Amino acid sequence: MPMTQGTFSFLPDLTDEQIRAQVKYCFDNGWAVNIEYTDDPHPRNTYWEMWDLPMFDLADPAGVITELEACKKVFPNHYIRISAFDSTAGWESLRISFIVNRPKEEPGYHLERNETHGRTVQYTLRPYATQKPAGQRY
Amino acid sequence: MAFSMHAPVQARPEERRQALDDIDLPEGELPGSLAEIYEKSGIPEVFARLDRDLIGLAPVKGRVREIASLLIVDKVRRQLGLTAEPPTLHMSFTGNPGTGKTTVAMRMAQILHQLGYIRTDRLVAVTRDDMVGQYIGHTAPKTKEILKRAMGGVLFIDEAYYLFRPENERDYGAEAIEILLQIMENQRDDLVVVVAGYADKMAKFFTANPGFRSRVAHHIDFPDYGAAELLEIGELMLARQNYRFDAKARAAFADYVKIRMNQPHFANARSIRNALDRARMRQAIRLFQEKDKPLTKESLTTIQEGEIRQSRVFRGGIEGWPEGVPDAQGAGQPGMEK
Amino acid sequence: MATETAQRSAADRYKAGVMQYKEMGYWQPDYEPSDTDIIALFRISPQDGVDAVEAAAAVAGESSTATWTVVWTDRLTACDKYRAKAYKVEQVPGNPEQWFAYIAYDLDLFEPGSIANLTASIIGNVFGFKPLKALRLEDMRLPVAYVKTFDGPATGIVVERERLDKFGRPLLGATVKPKLGLSGRNYGRVVYEALKGGLDFTKDDENINSQPFMHWRDRFLYCMEAVKKAEAASGEIKGTYLNVTAATMEDMYERAEFAKELGSTIVMIDLVIGYTAIQSMSKWARRNDMILHLHRAGHSTYTRQKSHGVSFRVISKWMRLAGVDHIHAGTVVGKLEGDPNTTRGFYDILREDFVPRKLEHGVFFDQPWASTRKVMPVASGGIHAGQMHQLIDLLGEDCVLQFGGGTIGHPMGIAAGAVANRVALEAMILARNEGRDIKAEGPEILEKAGKFCQPLAQALSTWKDITFDYTSTDAPDFAPTATAMA
Repeated sequence: MPMTQGTFSFLPDLTDEQIRAQVKYCFDNGWAVNIEYTDDPHPRNTYWEMWDLPMFDLADPAGVITELEACKKVFPNHYIRISAFDSTAGWESLRISFIVNRPKEEPGYHLERNETHGRTVQYTLRPYATQKPAGQRY
Repeated sequence: MAFSMHAPVQARPEERRQALDDIDLPEGELPGSLAEIYEKSGIPEVFARLDRDLIGLAPVKGRVREIASLLIVDKVRRQLGLTAEPPTLHMSFTGNPGTGKTTVAMRMAQILHQLGYIRTDRLVAVTRDDMVGQYIGHTAPKTKEILKRAMGGVLFIDEAYYLFRPENERDYGAEAIEILLQIMENQRDDLVVVVAGYADKMAKFFTANPGFRSRVAHHIDFPDYGAAELLEIGELMLARQNYRFDAKARAAFADYVKIRMNQPHFANARSIRNALDRARMRQAIRLFQEKDKPLTKESLTTIQEGEIRQSRVFRGGIEGWPEGVPDAQGAGQPGMEK
Repeated sequence: MATETAQRSAADRYKAGVMQYKEMGYWQPDYEPSDTDIIALFRISPQDGVDAVEAAAAVAGESSTATWTVVWTDRLTACDKYRAKAYKVEQVPGNPEQWFAYIAYDLDLFEPGSIANLTASIIGNVFGFKPLKALRLEDMRLPVAYVKTFDGPATGIVVERERLDKFGRPLLGATVKPKLGLSGRNYGRVVYEALKGGLDFTKDDENINSQPFMHWRDRFLYCMEAVKKAEAASGEIKGTYLNVTAATMEDMYERAEFAKELGSTIVMIDLVIGYTAIQSMSKWARRNDMILHLHRAGHSTYTRQKSHGVSFRVISKWMRLAGVDHIHAGTVVGKLEGDPNTTRGFYDILREDFVPRKLEHGVFFDQPWASTRKVMPVASGGIHAGQMHQLIDLLGEDCVLQFGGGTIGHPMGIAAGAVANRVALEAMILARNEGRDIKAEGPEILEKAGKFCQPLAQALSTWKDITFDYTSTDAPDFAPTATAMA
């Protein structure tokens, strides 16, 4: 089952043209654009690996697309996301974050139930993929 | 390197539609006329601005028009399916300092944008130091950063030949050239590169880097200005700052130009600008010496003969250089030779 | 307005007996409010024959130091400072029986960080005052000096988004229906289906507490099973607003602690628990990294009528101070009260760091928030996927869109309803970011998305003609003209 993190996970995979338009929207708003990748799709895995530094001051999405192509070439079967950072006071956080590449097979997550006192259950979520070491997952 | 009166180096955000892309040609059908397309493209305004900004330079303007014509025809041919390959747009601008290379590059960015060849009319101007790093691993990210910033528009590399330093085999410039060439070849839709500098050095650079030569499609040579043009430029510069010569000062400045342009370190329009800056300074000093006289608009705007004749140029010196600097010195420095 | 002032000798002023409020110093037309004053704007409807200025002075008096007669003990205090000052009275445009009265209160009249104390003064006695037919608190200017005595929202919009890892689009929720009667087991089923389908949140309704048909512990246990199972199905953080509203604080804390133990990210309270209980729960939420959702149950009893009560924009300000993270603030297009301009004013108050005076939105004062965290407005009640373009256009992206019936009532089931809402939302945000005019092209964008998403196509055809078009009872008094802006 596909993991649905990100702003546009319920739409068909974005085309290059669509990615370009979203990146342009980010630059038009003055946000810095990041490319990140991971092979651990746990929803609490906040820190995906950064593909180079965030891109500030670009006028055109071509630079981001170039980097994205390079990242895909190295990690064709990883999750890759594009996010944009707004440094405005009061925000200083992401403003958008969407998946632009995903593994061919997504085995999903195992939900472990640890039954404790009464009927209380402690839950642990584990991506099946992370049963294997990093780098051998997808 | 250029005489540009007021244009910023980083151009404005996109403000015009890409006119040619609006013309939908039904398969195989010819548009009305080229004149119609030309009028619609917004390019006449760019040329008008080029004429306003740059005095003379007829051969350069002619070349720009030729390139624009070629690109318009190419565009129409492509829409009719007569051409498939996107044209190579990288260019080389050669000429001495102060001959208008940066200004023309900015107008070229606008033309390419109007014709829909690039997505913004932004021009990013850089030199070697912006692209080449100081240590291993430093150059690639620096160069890529610049390329990404310029993408969608024009990258203007001033004195591009300094990227290549054959005398130092451990120089990192080669790495920058390699990355640059790759993008110039593979992402022709994303980036247009203009290399600029002295003609002789550029020729040597192309000989040593044939890959570069083959990727540059258009060459424009920027001749030095003649004395009459330089005088006209000077007057235009003054007028834009609300100054003017009186009759004697104008004659003195004509004399000045004739002497100065044959001295070393002459940088065309830039030298003219510097000379005028000094004349304005002397005018202010004179006004202070006559400070009891009532001020008039006239006195505040007029440059007099004395302000010009005081120049060291009339006594065999070179202005802007310390007294007694021999001609040979500085001639070997980048950007300083005649 | 009348220009008579209350300048008279102390001996005169404190002579035993009854005196007009405006004579006692509660009417000061020359007074210039200081930066630290709290200012209240009341809409007053004086009884026949009562002068508007005297009525305004009476409101100032009764909401600060005055009583019905002169008391000599005033003279033991710096009473000039403590007296609230009515300083401006102006006629409500187009309404000869109503007046706007501006009243300034010294900061020292209020205990720092206590909504209970603030409201005990401002709306304590005065709303039953006989010389007035009706009284409404329209707006308040809360000075930075006072704002800073409150912690504000426990989480706030930015941190909530970071915690949920959800950016760039409104969040999606649904209230479990039917409101009453479901057993815990069946209730959890609705939660699971809706979250698995693509919603971010589900919600208990305001009156779901602990009734014979479902004990609160049962609800919490089944709901958290549903939440975690949906997280495993999607890889996304999910939540359900577990309503901890109860009879006593002890009960509420017990329920909140249990929600925390089960791993919930969010708990919920009702406005009816009272300001003190809300502030207590905010402090609890802050201590426990919990998002605090407030359902504004009961507010319409005093916010809806224009002549009497407290405007919701004032409630919004109080709730931002009190420290809730979510608050229901209207949908404009849904089934519940909501004039577009008035609602816009509420949203600004909840979300902006500085809210400028804007009469056509019903905002009478510049309101600085001094970096107080932002409250996420919740749009809930009678909305559906077919209105997505209007909702995003009117409400922006920092809100929760709550589709209860619009999810659960889907002909193909709850999960399909959730998918329809999520697809409609993402398609609309994508189009908006691409620069398209979603207000005009919205229906077309939705229809196109329906081509690859069957559930959305069905949702659109099921609810296509549903609108709630009634005249609003709480529209602003000022049209957007240059003079009203002055």
